[in-house]
Parts: sequence; C-alpha cells; structure tokens
Amino acid sequence: MHIIILLIEILALFALVMLHVAYATYFERKIIGHMQVRLGPMRVGWHGLLQPIADGIKSFFKEDIIPAGADRPTFVAAPIICLVAMLTSLAVLPLAKGWVLADIDIGLLFIFAMSSLASYGVVLAGWASNSKFSFLGGLRSMAQVISYEIAMGLSLVGVMLLSGSLNLSRIVEAQGDSILGMYLLPQCLGFFVFFISMLAETNRVPFDLPEAETELVSGYCTEYSGMRYAIFFMAEYIGMMVMAAIGTICFLGGWNGPFAVPFFPPLWFVLKVYLFLFIFIWIRATLPRYRYDQLMDLGWKLLIPLALVNLVLTACIKAMIG
Amino acid sequence: MQIQYKPKRTWLATIFQVEILQGMALTLRRLFSRPITRQYPEEKPQIKTGFRGQHALVRDPATGLTKCVGCMRCAMVCPSRCIRIRSHKEKEQWNRRLIDDYRIEALRCVYCGYCVEVCPVNAIVLTEVFEYGAYDRQSIFFNLEQLLTNWDRFAAQMDQPVADYVNPFWRPRGLAEHTLPVGKRLAVTPEWSGEQQVVGRNWRQHHQPEKSCKEDVDV
Repeated sequence: MHIIILLIEILALFALVMLHVAYATYFERKIIGHMQVRLGPMRVGWHGLLQPIADGIKSFFKEDIIPAGADRPTFVAAPIICLVAMLTSLAVLPLAKGWVLADIDIGLLFIFAMSSLASYGVVLAGWASNSKFSFLGGLRSMAQVISYEIAMGLSLVGVMLLSGSLNLSRIVEAQGDSILGMYLLPQCLGFFVFFISMLAETNRVPFDLPEAETELVSGYCTEYSGMRYAIFFMAEYIGMMVMAAIGTICFLGGWNGPFAVPFFPPLWFVLKVYLFLFIFIWIRATLPRYRYDQLMDLGWKLLIPLALVNLVLTACIKAMIG
Repeated sequence: MQIQYKPKRTWLATIFQVEILQGMALTLRRLFSRPITRQYPEEKPQIKTGFRGQHALVRDPATGLTKCVGCMRCAMVCPSRCIRIRSHKEKEQWNRRLIDDYRIEALRCVYCGYCVEVCPVNAIVLTEVFEYGAYDRQSIFFNLEQLLTNWDRFAAQMDQPVADYVNPFWRPRGLAEHTLPVGKRLAVTPEWSGEQQVVGRNWRQHHQPEKSCKEDVDV
C-alpha cells in the first residue's frame, strides 16, 4: 500500500515536472522574445500557449536518426543517462514541510552526485556521435563540469557548516521562517560562487560552451534528432530547475515565506524557483558567451579561492560564536 | 595617440560587475517595452508613398496600350538586367517604335526603382502591391499583358482617380525641373521635391509612426 502511494506521488511529481519543462521552454521563448522587442511564439493557441505541446508532438513524431559511424548502444543510452540522473535528483528536493519523496540525510551530496552523473550523459553523447562538433562539445562539458563542481561543492559547504546537516529539509528548517534567517546574508560570498557555478553546471549562457551554436553547431547534441534531442532538452531544463531548487533551499529559505499559505504549502518554494528560472533566462538574454580560457580562469582562479575563503571565514565565525 | 579600449573601473565596479548589471537593466527595460513585431497576415503594413512593389506598365487611357516608347533606358539602367523589350519600328506613319513584348523577371528584380526614375514617359511603375507570390514562376515572369493587367488591378483599388495619380518615382528627387524630360515635369507632393524632400532621418518626423511601434522611437 505504501509503495502504491509512493508510486502515485512519483508519477505526480514526474508529470508536474514535465509540464514545467514544457512551459519553461515557452516561458523562455516569450521572455527572450520580449527582451529582444519581439513577441515570441504567437501562433499556436492564444499567444502561443499551446506551442510547447505542439513542439512535443513534433519532436515525438520526427525521424530518429542514428549516424552510421555512431556507437549505437552508447548513443542511445546517453540521453537517457542525462534525463534519469536529473530526474533522480528531484526525489530529494523538499517542496514543503514533509513534501519530499525521499527524505535522505545525504540530500545535498546526492544531488551533486546526480548532476555529475548527468554530465556523463553529455560526455558519452559527444563521444558516441562520431562527429567532431559533438566530441568537442562533450570535452568542453567534461572540463567545465569538473571545474565548476568543485567551486559549487565548496560554496555549499558553508551552508552545511551553518545548518549542521546535509538533509535538505533540515537545511531549510535551520534557516527559520524569518527573512533574516536566510543564508543569503551570512553566505553572500557562497551564494555568489554558487550562482555562477550553477550557471556553468547547467550549461547555460554565458557558460554554454558545450553547445555553443556559433562554433559547434549544437555541441554534444548535434547528431541527435527527434525525441532523443528532446530528452537532452528536458534534462537541461530539469537541471535548471534542480539547481534553482537547490539555490532556493540552501540560500533563500526554501518553502518559508512571509506568511504561511493554507492549502498549497510549496507556494513560496515554487515562486522562488520561478524567480531563479527567470534570472537564468534574463542572463541568457543579456550576456554573451565566455571564451574558453576565461571560463577556466574564472572557475579555478576566482571561484574556487573565493569559495575557500568563504569556507574558512564561515568556519572561524561559527567557531567563535557557537 | 593612445587608444584606451577598456575604460578604467574602480574596484567597487569590478566587484559588483557594474557593466553586467547595466546590461541586465537594459534587457529588463526592454522586457516591458512594446514589441515591434507585426502579426503579418492579420496586420498589414502601412504602405507609404514611394513604396516599390509589383511592376506594372501604365495603360495609356488614350490608346489603351502601353505608354512605352521602346527607348530601352530602363533595360540599360537595370542593375539586375531583368528587363527585356522587343519592339519594331512603325515605318509608315511617324517612324515610332511599337512594343511587341516587355518582359520583367520579377524574381531577379532588386526593386531599386531606377527603371521608374529613368523612364521619360512614365510608362513603367512599381505599384504598392506586394502580395503577389505564386506557386509557379510563369506568373511572376511578367510579360506585356501581365504588366498591363497589373496596372489595371492596381488602378482599380486606388482611391484617387487614375488620371491624377503621380508616382513619386516618376520624378527623380534632387534634380532641377529644367533637366527633366517634359514627361517627368509633374507636380509631386512637396516632400518628394526640392528642399523639402523627406529622406532618411527626416522621415520619422514627417510621418506618423505605425501603430505597432508607437513608443520608443526616441530610445
């Protein structure tokens, strides 16, 4: 009985997240369109509201091409690895008090593990496609994710120190429900590092080197078509949402808001995640891509030292006060 | 001379990445500005004077034929060489040229309007019709009959009488009256002649901007 309820919960979360992914693409196209003084999708449905559904149907019925020189099993597995890793990390995210599928004590570590695993999908896709663009995209992704994983992990150690737990629900509870309790203020340095490495981890502009359209056609997903391409896309958007959720949980106080909402406790959490997504898109509409050496410089020479400084400072202050 | 490519920043500006924030503020402001997109099939563009659209040969009301005298100036001036004229001499009467065929390959045309400006008798015109796409090339490679029909169609939907119609391109801008051939000495609207001609930047001040871009002209 317990398992059936859990399965229903999983299905509900899955459906919800997929719907969010579909409409995140719509949201992104609309926002970027308006930022570029265009309208964005307008044709399918009222103001293009059915566009994501049309896109989904289209990519579902598109021809599925596997290049002749590709390594078939790896080529097929790569997008699935990406998507599964991203979807798995959804399980540990607490949407509200008690609204979590798996309330495990290593939540934060689990998410790190899964987001690194997702980069395997990208690397394998690049390798299996037997195309230079894909290969370069895969290599870049590997280097980028490895560099920024460190900075991100170190930036969140401060949060772990303050809250004394890796369990995401407990991190939120440790922040209390007042605005001053948020780790955004005591961990502003950590938040800065986290925010930038979050952009890099999700391969978003200005760190979208793995799929740099202008240089690499479409990077690691150049050879993919139809549903497989769509799966990469979903993985990217779920990755964005997971990172936004982590940011919300660790720095913005999770589901706590100015007042409690009676029927829908995750409201504040969802709003904060939307805010993060909006910032993702806003940055995409504004900034150009980093050059590769600049990206590596930023990661190794600025973010990692900053994260270490933040870590030492947090530990010292915590030792002095507590 | 020393050129400073990168403006100097204070350390505060470096820490807070002021340039990035400025850029973000700009895009945010644009987010709330009015989009300039025109939803085309539902919302037609407002055609302004001097629009260069579909080609036509003006039908002479006196003879019912084209006004063209076969001087070949349009064919000579055409940068894309898309005008072919076949004519013969009418030996008996006035030794004038009669047009057998006048072809324009509209797909090659670049719509520069030189042919219209150079024509001494105002025979050829670029109308304001712009929706004439077709599924076959034959109907876009205009011949004499098609060009005359184009004019008839354009004349039928014109709101002023055909006799009064003056295409501004019939009178090239910036040329003194006496340098023009007799046929070109027509009264054009003031903004198309002499000092008052509206070109380039002045256009916006003289014309009401379209509905879809009412705001943000100055930004």
